[in-house]
Amino acid sequence: MDFRFSEEEEAFRKDVQEFIAEEMTDEIRSKWLGGLLDTPVRQEFVTKMSKRGWLAMGFPEEYGGSGKSMPLAQYILNDELHKAQAPIVGKNLGVVVNTLLHHGSDQLKQEFIPRILRNEIQWALAYTEPEAGSDLANMQMRAELDGDEYVLNGTKRFITSAHFADYMWTGVRTDPDAAKHQGISLVIIDVPTEGMTLSPMNTIIGEQTNDVFFDNVRVPKERLVGELNQGWRYITEALTYERFAMTSFAPTIRKFKRLIEWVKTTEMNGKPMKDDPVVRRKIAHLAVLVEAGRMIDLRCVCEAVRPDYVPVNEAAMNKMWGGIVETVLTDEALDIMGPYGYLWHNGGHAPMDGDMVDDYLWAGHQRVAAAGVDLSKNIIARRYLGLPAS
Amino acid sequence: MDMEFTEEQRALQTTARSFLATECPTSVARAMETSESGFSQELWQKMADLGWLGLVHDADAGGAGMGNVELAVLAKELGRVLCPSPYIPSAILAGGAVAAAGTGEQKQRLLPDIISGKTVVAFALQEENTYFDARSVNATATANGDAYVLNGTKMFVEFASAADRVLVVARTAGAPPASEGLALFLVNPNDVNVRLEPLSTVSRDRQFQMVLDGVRVEADDVIGTPGEAWSALEGVIERGVVALCAYMVGAAERIHEMATDFAKERVQFNRPIGSFQAIQHYLAQSITEILAADTTVFYAAWTLDEGLPSREIVAKTKSFAGDTFRKATDIGTQIHGGIGYDESMDTSLFLRRGKQLQLSMGSTGYWEDVIADELLGPVEA
Ligand SMILES: Cc1cc2nc3c(=O)[nH]c(=O)nc-3n(C[C@H](O)[C@H](O)[C@H](O)COP(=O)(O)OP(=O)(O)OC[C@H]3O[C@@H](n4cnc5c(N)ncnc54)[C@H](O)[C@@H]3O)c2cc1C
Repeated sequence: MDFRFSEEEEAFRKDVQEFIAEEMTDEIRSKWLGGLLDTPVRQEFVTKMSKRGWLAMGFPEEYGGSGKSMPLAQYILNDELHKAQAPIVGKNLGVVVNTLLHHGSDQLKQEFIPRILRNEIQWALAYTEPEAGSDLANMQMRAELDGDEYVLNGTKRFITSAHFADYMWTGVRTDPDAAKHQGISLVIIDVPTEGMTLSPMNTIIGEQTNDVFFDNVRVPKERLVGELNQGWRYITEALTYERFAMTSFAPTIRKFKRLIEWVKTTEMNGKPMKDDPVVRRKIAHLAVLVEAGRMIDLRCVCEAVRPDYVPVNEAAMNKMWGGIVETVLTDEALDIMGPYGYLWHNGGHAPMDGDMVDDYLWAGHQRVAAAGVDLSKNIIARRYLGLPAS
Repeated sequence: MDMEFTEEQRALQTTARSFLATECPTSVARAMETSESGFSQELWQKMADLGWLGLVHDADAGGAGMGNVELAVLAKELGRVLCPSPYIPSAILAGGAVAAAGTGEQKQRLLPDIISGKTVVAFALQEENTYFDARSVNATATANGDAYVLNGTKMFVEFASAADRVLVVARTAGAPPASEGLALFLVNPNDVNVRLEPLSTVSRDRQFQMVLDGVRVEADDVIGTPGEAWSALEGVIERGVVALCAYMVGAAERIHEMATDFAKERVQFNRPIGSFQAIQHYLAQSITEILAADTTVFYAAWTLDEGLPSREIVAKTKSFAGDTFRKATDIGTQIHGGIGYDESMDTSLFLRRGKQLQLSMGSTGYWEDVIADELLGPVEA
């Protein structure tokens, strides 16, 4: 048992911290968990990381990877990026590269992986549909083979990054007669392609996601990922990577530290906030919940580096606890502020410039997106505890 | 970063689990609730023979010289069966205090008997307040030649009536909240000037209010240097608290297993109740908390073994493990339905201990105040 990072890992962490100290700016900083690569400065930031080889870590050399790497390198990198509210590297690497590596044709690997590792192309992940949210396997968007092309018709919902992505990683129904998990395939679509229209949806904190409509969109059949009708397996496998990359506890720790700083430096009703016994108990209670989250995170990391092991249960626990703690933290933080807690950005009086309000409004999203609290509990109950199907 | 047990730790876990399964089923915990002493002398002797009482004591005192991680491994197993024993007060707290503060002669004289199980020493720190540290101590020790005379009232003294001795923390100087001026005294609980008033606890364990009314303690039994006890006690208390947390996590694991098994078997509405999502979600959240508490306990134990700053993590661990255990017993009992509240069911043993241990050795609130001190600094004014 050893809870220390190795010297090599600590050295890498220091490199990342130095990089962030040099390159990070307010324009790059993002409210969106894990960051969006929607502007040139944000993309350039990631390109700089790719030049350092940080996107290529651990991937095979024949596709532009660096070969061997420390197993924890990507975790450490994302941990630091999350702390700085910088764009993380897990979204494309975790889902697209891993899936292509394990299941993609040689042609697709050659075509996409090197460019992803150089950050030359951006992606949107398109699974959700109006009738397929948590019940993702219910996706209906049809892909029918017509000669050498698939013809796509249907609607995708909440497709983040679609408004600037170069490619869409898309779940489609290729066999409407099969059982719902067995008729799904994965295809890669150019953005834009004729017949595809985007309709923006502005979220409660002002970041954009999109509905995407497909009207006879044609996709070459070489863009099928892996085998026909095996898409569900690939998607669920990759969702675990995403859940893990996206649910690092670092953002919650960062918010909590900021709250402590605020409490330490603020007077309310003529007295130092930090001396208020109720505030002290609340802060202490939050500290405990956050520490527990850090422990689940580390446990998840220790499991995830085991070769060929996908930590489904640990990732679900991480996701569940993250959603719960983020909610309690942001709610209690605003409570402590009293009426100042509802002041939002740019008004001058808002504690932490209203950032905690954003965090509060967005906490629920963590409880819902990519298998949120309820769905994670289902996974833990069924897979970890072996409870019978409901 | 590596959370695996070593071979040795795994072996300790396996031995402890199988030994306790035969020697200490929960019927023992139940039987001890109505026994005179609150623990089984026979089991205690076997625990000593396995080397458990000396687990963390130095080899030259007859111990195994192991660390806090191993202690947590063992304490978890004791918790799984709700093992009733003076393990923490005698082997860890009193024994630890003698080892940390005692003179060479005192260690030689006292530790072998504590480790062999021959002597049970109760531990008396707390008084009539909610602190679990130097702030609690008002009891006075007044010098009288080489000896001292003790006056004051101790609370929550476990196993005091059955103990051979009680290690009492009292003041030779100063007043609360000062941590200077504390000293350790070995008191005979049968001394005519000691009065033990049993406390009726929800766990039905043996705890006492201990009134010291001019108790004379000879120089031999003044442990270490009077006035300087706290520096030795602090680390010993942290070790004891982490061991209690491990005990609670083991117990939480066990009640969760019981509830999960029950949920798979109990049929209502023509299906196992474990297929209902309400039940699944209780159990899923609870197991997540238990695994988090488990990792926190081992992280705290490892922190102590490494000699790293530990006050904050110990405080967080006690808060979280206590809350988690309490919740696990509450939900675990609820999932059993009405039968869960049957006095003869194991659930009721766990439910009663859940609340008590959460409030023992510093309640959640007490430790939250410690965390606040660490994170925000002390309250000024
Ligand atoms: C800002 C944002 C960005 C997103 N980005 C993307 C993206 O880039 N790509 C993409 O494909 N998707 C994306 N999503 C979609 C997201 O993954 C879905 O919102 C999520 O899967 C939930 O689906 P839903 O919204 O249809 O809710 P529903 O599935 O309708 O759920 C409604 C409620 O019911 C609960 N519920 C549902 N099923 C169960 C069950 N079996 N047991 C217990 N409770 C249940 C849910 O927890 C939730 O509280 C995004 C969503 C948002 C809000």
